Amino acid sequence: MRSPSEVHLRLEHVTKRFGETTAVNDVSFEVPRGSFATLLGPSGCGKTTTLRMIAGFYDPDHGDIVLGGKRINELPAHRRGTAMVFQDYALFPHMTVKENVAYGLRVAGVPGADRERRVHDILQFVGLGGLGDRWPNQLSGGQQQRVAVGRALVLEPQILLLDEPLSNLDAKLRVQLRWELRALQQRLGMTFVYVTHDQDEALSLSDWIAVMNAGKVEQAGTPWEIYYHPRTSFLADFVGAVNLVPGTVQKLTGDEAVIAFGSRAIAVRVPSGLALAVGREVRLCVRPEALALRPPSADPDGVRLPGVVARRAFLGDLMRYWVTVDGREWIVDQPDPGAAADFDGPVTVAVKPERIHVIAE
Amino acid sequence: MRSLQREPGVLLALLAVVALVAIFIVYPQVRVVLTPGSAYGDFLSAGSWVRPLGNSLQVMALSTTTAVLIGFVFAYAMVYTDMQWKPFFRLIGILPLLSPPFVVAAAYVLLFGPRGIITYGVFGQTPIIFGLLGIWGVQTIAFFPFAYQLIADVLSRSDARMEQAARNLGAGPWSVFRTVTLPLSRPGLGAAILTTAIYVLEDFGNPALVGGQFTVLPTQAYGLISGFGDLPSAAAVSTILLSLALVLYLAKIRLDGGQSFVTVSGRASSMPRPPVPAWLSWVCFAVCGALCAMILLVYGSLVVSAFTLTFPVNTAFTTSHFEYVFSGVNGVALRNTLVYGLTAAAFSSLFALLAAWLVQRGIWSGRRILDFLLIMPAAVPGLFFGIGYATAFNEQWMDWLNRGVLIIISMIFWNIPVGYQAAVAGLRQIDRTMDEAATSLGASSLRGFRDVLVPMLGGSLRVGFVTTFVRAVTTLSVVIFLFTPGTTVATIRIFQLVNDLDWGGATAFTVIDIGLAMVALGAMAVLARGRIALGASRA
Repeated sequence: MRSPSEVHLRLEHVTKRFGETTAVNDVSFEVPRGSFATLLGPSGCGKTTTLRMIAGFYDPDHGDIVLGGKRINELPAHRRGTAMVFQDYALFPHMTVKENVAYGLRVAGVPGADRERRVHDILQFVGLGGLGDRWPNQLSGGQQQRVAVGRALVLEPQILLLDEPLSNLDAKLRVQLRWELRALQQRLGMTFVYVTHDQDEALSLSDWIAVMNAGKVEQAGTPWEIYYHPRTSFLADFVGAVNLVPGTVQKLTGDEAVIAFGSRAIAVRVPSGLALAVGREVRLCVRPEALALRPPSADPDGVRLPGVVARRAFLGDLMRYWVTVDGREWIVDQPDPGAAADFDGPVTVAVKPERIHVIAE
Repeated sequence: MRSLQREPGVLLALLAVVALVAIFIVYPQVRVVLTPGSAYGDFLSAGSWVRPLGNSLQVMALSTTTAVLIGFVFAYAMVYTDMQWKPFFRLIGILPLLSPPFVVAAAYVLLFGPRGIITYGVFGQTPIIFGLLGIWGVQTIAFFPFAYQLIADVLSRSDARMEQAARNLGAGPWSVFRTVTLPLSRPGLGAAILTTAIYVLEDFGNPALVGGQFTVLPTQAYGLISGFGDLPSAAAVSTILLSLALVLYLAKIRLDGGQSFVTVSGRASSMPRPPVPAWLSWVCFAVCGALCAMILLVYGSLVVSAFTLTFPVNTAFTTSHFEYVFSGVNGVALRNTLVYGLTAAAFSSLFALLAAWLVQRGIWSGRRILDFLLIMPAAVPGLFFGIGYATAFNEQWMDWLNRGVLIIISMIFWNIPVGYQAAVAGLRQIDRTMDEAATSLGASSLRGFRDVLVPMLGGSLRVGFVTTFVRAVTTLSVVIFLFTPGTTVATIRIFQLVNDLDWGGATAFTVIDIGLAMVALGAMAVLARGRIALGASRA
């Protein structure tokens, strides 16, 4: 058995240009074997280009792509063993479901009986038993997506590449198939490299996320790190809603810093790896759900910020408030809006200092 | 398809395509252009080409104008009105595309000539019909259906939603047409006009039959070779002709490039076009009816002549003309036509598909040049192409090669643009992720092309095959310098029979030649319907 932490895929200083634009700029990362790795970012950030370089559809201008310890830059796409699930599935319209799934095996020269058996097994596995003789255009979006996954998995690839495979589905199905994909990956113990622009998807599916912006990896880490300890304002803002409040370092003692913002100051923990100096401009990063609203008269623990409700929006599972504190709007989410009365007028925004994260500007 | 070095199969295919294009498209044409050599000076200063050049330009301007105007009315009527009998008009409009263009001239002589059915038979006149007016009239009838097809294609691609939106904003039918439809389709219309002009400019058969003393460039080139054996001068005339056609063609390509307004989404908009007033439909109906009556008169007279002893003198029914067509040298010509046409169509469409794939999907320098070379034969006058082959491959050491093979090869490469453009259009409709899906499943580029793209391109392949076949069996100018007694074809024989004033034989032969083309087109329609039915059962 290989050790679980063994590096399966490694990109080293990979750069790709299209004419004048640099789509991917000096990207390096490592994906451990058997992990669910996600490249997350807005459109045009270079995530799909990166995935397509791994698949061999684009050649990097610089840098190396190493798969299973071997440099694969020069290997043609069809010899890489990197099966891919495409955003629009790219099912062959002139082949039935079975023929689609069998295609890779046919190319590999797997004999008929063995091929039949493996196609049958994989169709059962992805929950399409009995639909083998259908044509792709007779299937629903979710079924087509399963065919695309089955068609790739039947080859038992080294690594499965998925390019926004859920983005063409409606919201409910997308969430359902999300869990199925995750369960599948864990059952197979296969390495998945997944591209998406949907941060919910990335957070809920992944063991590891690389957030990309303008051709670079802004930050890579576990979903938890990415969400609660973003290193840049772009990251904080891209992954979920966030309050980003400008402030200045007033005092430094050990790993604690006093940050002044508006007419106030709070003491927060300095994240490891962040070098601060007194007078440095920073941003305080607080997720809306880490804040709580209290009546103006209340005296909760932690930091208290008196403010006035400017507007609110009912989102079903939560009530989102925009509260003006010192002339600046803060987003505050209150869960389970049905359980309590709405706030209006003057309120107190409460937050525990440990929920405030500091980002260098 | 990624890097060529990594896929030797693709590299090999590319080299083969480039070599064939160089030998069979580039080389013959270069040979013609270079043939006059030092004789260019003498020839140009002698000035014998000035009049035919002027004539060519004059007749091109006249015939193109009338053909395009009539074609436009026909196209507008077919696309915009809800007039009656549309399927009938569509069928009649296709007919001239399926016949050698010069049959209109033949019918014209038959109907209006000195011994014409109408002029002499009805009115007892023996008018002089040869010359500019004759060519103009004949080319108008012969080429307006081409203009109609091109313009109808452009108009039907303009988005009905835009027109509905304009109507919704308060514009009337005429103002919608003037302010939305026309501006949107202007590049396409320009391209259609230029294409029609090229057809007219290159036309050899009609001027040869009704031109009389009115010589145009193609007939001058032909006369120089057949009359005087003066290949250098003929090559020089052809080069002038080629330059004109290339100028028109380059202008057309520029317009095509600017066609970005028109939505080519691949699926027809399901929204109906806004209705036009009833009176307009009726006017259109009357015009189309008159035009179709004229076409029917042309082809009807051919059919009647084919089945009567010596029309119009002796109108006794006979099948002897057909027996004549099936026997002797005519039978050989008929068989050759079929064999050459089918072989050329098969090879041309397949080769075009491979070439289109290499150009459209490949990433290698020089693909734009190959792309241009594959489209260029569309601008090359058939006569020029034929002279090119006659010049380039008329070598002693090539005598082992059957002349029929040379004719087939000339048909393959002269028609390459047809299949190539159909294939490129088809490939553009297929997302690249299809290729990539095959590749990511382990198929090499060539394997993916064979397994995935070729089956999906069946429609383009059929269009390429049928159009090439029709063009191959109806071309006169390409083969007129290539045929030998054993390798003669239908169009050559028809041309010779008309010149011999053997109207019965000529018309019977024409009817059969058109019949071949119709069968091919019918087969395609049946195949396409089969595909549509299959698709429906899947839905």
